[in-house]
Amino acid sequence: MTISLNYFLSRLLGACMTMIIGTFVVFIVMKAAPGDPALVVLGDFATPEAVARFNSEYGLDQPVLGQYLDWLKGIAQLDFGTSLSIASRQDISRLILFRLPNTFTIGIYAIAIAILVSLTLGTLAAIYRGSSIDAAATSVSVLGVSMPDFWLAYMLILGLSIGLGWFPSYGFIPVSTSFLGAMHSGFLPALAIAAPMAAVFSRTLRTSLVENLNRDHVLVAKSFGHPASFIFLHHVLRNSIIPYIVVIGLQIRYLLGGVVIIERVFGINGIGSLMVEAAFARDYFVVQACAVVFLAIVLSVNFIVDLVCALLDPKRSR
Amino acid sequence: MTNPSNKALISRRTILKASTAGATLAMLPIWAGQAQAACSTLRAGITGFNTINTMDPGKATLIPEYYVLWGVFNSLLKFDEQMKIVPDLAESYETLSPTIVKFVLRKGVKFHDGVDMTAEDVKFTLERLQSEAYGSPHKSKFDAISEIRIIDSHTVEIETSKPFAPLLSYLTNTRTGSQIVPRHLLENGTPESFATAPIGTGPFKVTGYEPGASISLAAHEDYFIDGLPVVKTVTMPLIAEESAGVTALLGGSIDVTSTAPFADIPNLEADPNVQVLKSPGTNIRFISMNNAVAPFDDVHFRRAVSMAFDRQAMVDVVIFGEGRTATGVVPSSIAWASLEETPDIMTFNPEKAKAELALSKYGAGTEATILTWGSSWWKRFAEVFALQVNQTLGVNFKVEVSESGAVYQRKKTGDFQATIWGWLGLIDPDEYAFEVLHSTGWRNFEKYSNPEVDRLLEAARGELDQEKRGQVYRQALTLANEDCPILPCFESNVHNLLAPKVKGFTQLPYSAYGSQLAEVSEC
Repeated sequence: MTISLNYFLSRLLGACMTMIIGTFVVFIVMKAAPGDPALVVLGDFATPEAVARFNSEYGLDQPVLGQYLDWLKGIAQLDFGTSLSIASRQDISRLILFRLPNTFTIGIYAIAIAILVSLTLGTLAAIYRGSSIDAAATSVSVLGVSMPDFWLAYMLILGLSIGLGWFPSYGFIPVSTSFLGAMHSGFLPALAIAAPMAAVFSRTLRTSLVENLNRDHVLVAKSFGHPASFIFLHHVLRNSIIPYIVVIGLQIRYLLGGVVIIERVFGINGIGSLMVEAAFARDYFVVQACAVVFLAIVLSVNFIVDLVCALLDPKRSR
Repeated sequence: MTNPSNKALISRRTILKASTAGATLAMLPIWAGQAQAACSTLRAGITGFNTINTMDPGKATLIPEYYVLWGVFNSLLKFDEQMKIVPDLAESYETLSPTIVKFVLRKGVKFHDGVDMTAEDVKFTLERLQSEAYGSPHKSKFDAISEIRIIDSHTVEIETSKPFAPLLSYLTNTRTGSQIVPRHLLENGTPESFATAPIGTGPFKVTGYEPGASISLAAHEDYFIDGLPVVKTVTMPLIAEESAGVTALLGGSIDVTSTAPFADIPNLEADPNVQVLKSPGTNIRFISMNNAVAPFDDVHFRRAVSMAFDRQAMVDVVIFGEGRTATGVVPSSIAWASLEETPDIMTFNPEKAKAELALSKYGAGTEATILTWGSSWWKRFAEVFALQVNQTLGVNFKVEVSESGAVYQRKKTGDFQATIWGWLGLIDPDEYAFEVLHSTGWRNFEKYSNPEVDRLLEAARGELDQEKRGQVYRQALTLANEDCPILPCFESNVHNLLAPKVKGFTQLPYSAYGSQLAEVSEC
């Protein structure tokens, strides 16, 4: 498998352009929206003089485009700048570095759960299609898609945490502190995010497995007397897995959306909750930094999905 | 030995099995057991907020910032449970003349770095707040001070240019900025680190700060009150969602919360797994009307509206009964300066309201827009108001949902007809009455002006005798209530949730969170 350098470079350039345009749009929208970081910081004591002093101290009285370009210049030198109104004068890169591992842990944990569940459910449903197992798997999937994640999160807290006391109701132990702690404290949030994803994944897998099970070459393989498990693994699953992986890649952006809400419900210090807080507080540069991180994640996941698909399907890389 | 590939298969499967079983076993007891740990560390969540921009008291403004600062610093004075001013770093104080107050400081008070607190620090703190270069948002509170004289190392005299009664309130350990800071660390300019690792005299010192996430505190061993603080360390997770604070407490992840959602209080009070503390708060929620634009430029129209809705119904529906109806702009928890009874003009009376509307140049069908924002109960507040008034007077008030910062912005530029509004946690009646009702008050977004009210409010500022001063405020409030520049609606309770084991936490009307943690004896 080869991927041309040209292809790689054009993807990278496109990603950078997307990022610049993305952050500019975020910046303009935030600036156009009513509200003012000075009011957030000064609260009930926002006398007109205090607001003016705050704005000149943080350069917010400068021309709008100049503020954005200054920020962009910083980014080019990997300097995200400092926070305005959620953690005044604190380095944004530090805020992000502290939170990124938590978001990653929860995200990967959720995907792992979703993959594990969907591989099981999807495969069972496809093999026993039309049976009660298929019906049960389909019902679980529909339930998973229909439940809003924040609602499911509170239900999980109510049942498994407050009710049974198996999991903490709040907070997250970072992997760096304890791996087991992270797996334990991250289980409910990861499950809440994973449920709708698992549903979509297993539906996709079932459909494409059923489609491939009925293909001619499978029939041929059967007539050769290959064992069913061999046919399934080599002729069915391998062909079915490509749409499955594409869907996983596509779901990453919904995952990020879910992370934003779930992080708040469980009090996980992640990028999602940071971005929400920053948006509320009109902390323009923190929001933009988070947008850069999100865009980078989505673009690199898309890139990786393309690569994996090319690996699995030789036709694609031609 | 045997076939290697076979061996690998078995061991892989065994490892998988063992690790799954091991993980399941290991996770449950260890992590579930953590909730039952002994109280060496108090886990005091800051709920409903998670922004801490600075812990420099002279720069701080936000409630969560002060939740921490109250436990890290002391001021000269503080409030007791009845909102009476009592000494804190001052051992005693005395009014020498209408413009001079003398403070005798406690001896043996040490900052967290071991240095003694003296009169020099007091003088430095107040002059820093006054300085243009430092730029404190609290500067205007201390503009009246003309001189700070050090009599000896533990005696200070503060002189004001004219009699200024709110000064004593502004010298308390509340959201005033007057917490005493160490001169020896700050005299050559405040280092950046002071905002994240402040040094005070309070029962706790800051040992860790993760922006937006948590604050860690440790006991100040040399604290000037023997035996305090009881707990050795405090962690304060910053929990943005109030409801997440409730589940955290019920699930045993934290021991105390700084607030609680109104809607949950009835259920929580019936729950044996949580203690609910509540008391009337120092806050006022009102309908703010632009007295300079139609239709609220007509006093009869405002009076008609004031009598056209039931404030008790509002308390019941909007904040689930967790508060009381207002009597004026000064909250009733500041009992010495507020009106005791709800005046007739603020009591629901459809006949009188219609009669008043008949006197107005605006009649039924008059349109107006009430601005509100979507978070928590604020939207319901506006809706309940508009619905009732529309029903009673046949006017057509509409609710426009915006964002709180945007509403504030529009108030400041006068681009509004009416909004819901409120002030919270201010401790001197001057901050409510003068700033909101005086024609030059900076919180007077309503553009209200009544020369007689102005005169009374100025007189109250100069009256040092608390009882007499309170009487003057009551006169001013009575007068202003008749003009209805704003429509005071209700005051909400302050709440703390405590885990069942927690003992020793007392609640104050202005919600003295950080300082009260020092007395927690069991958790």
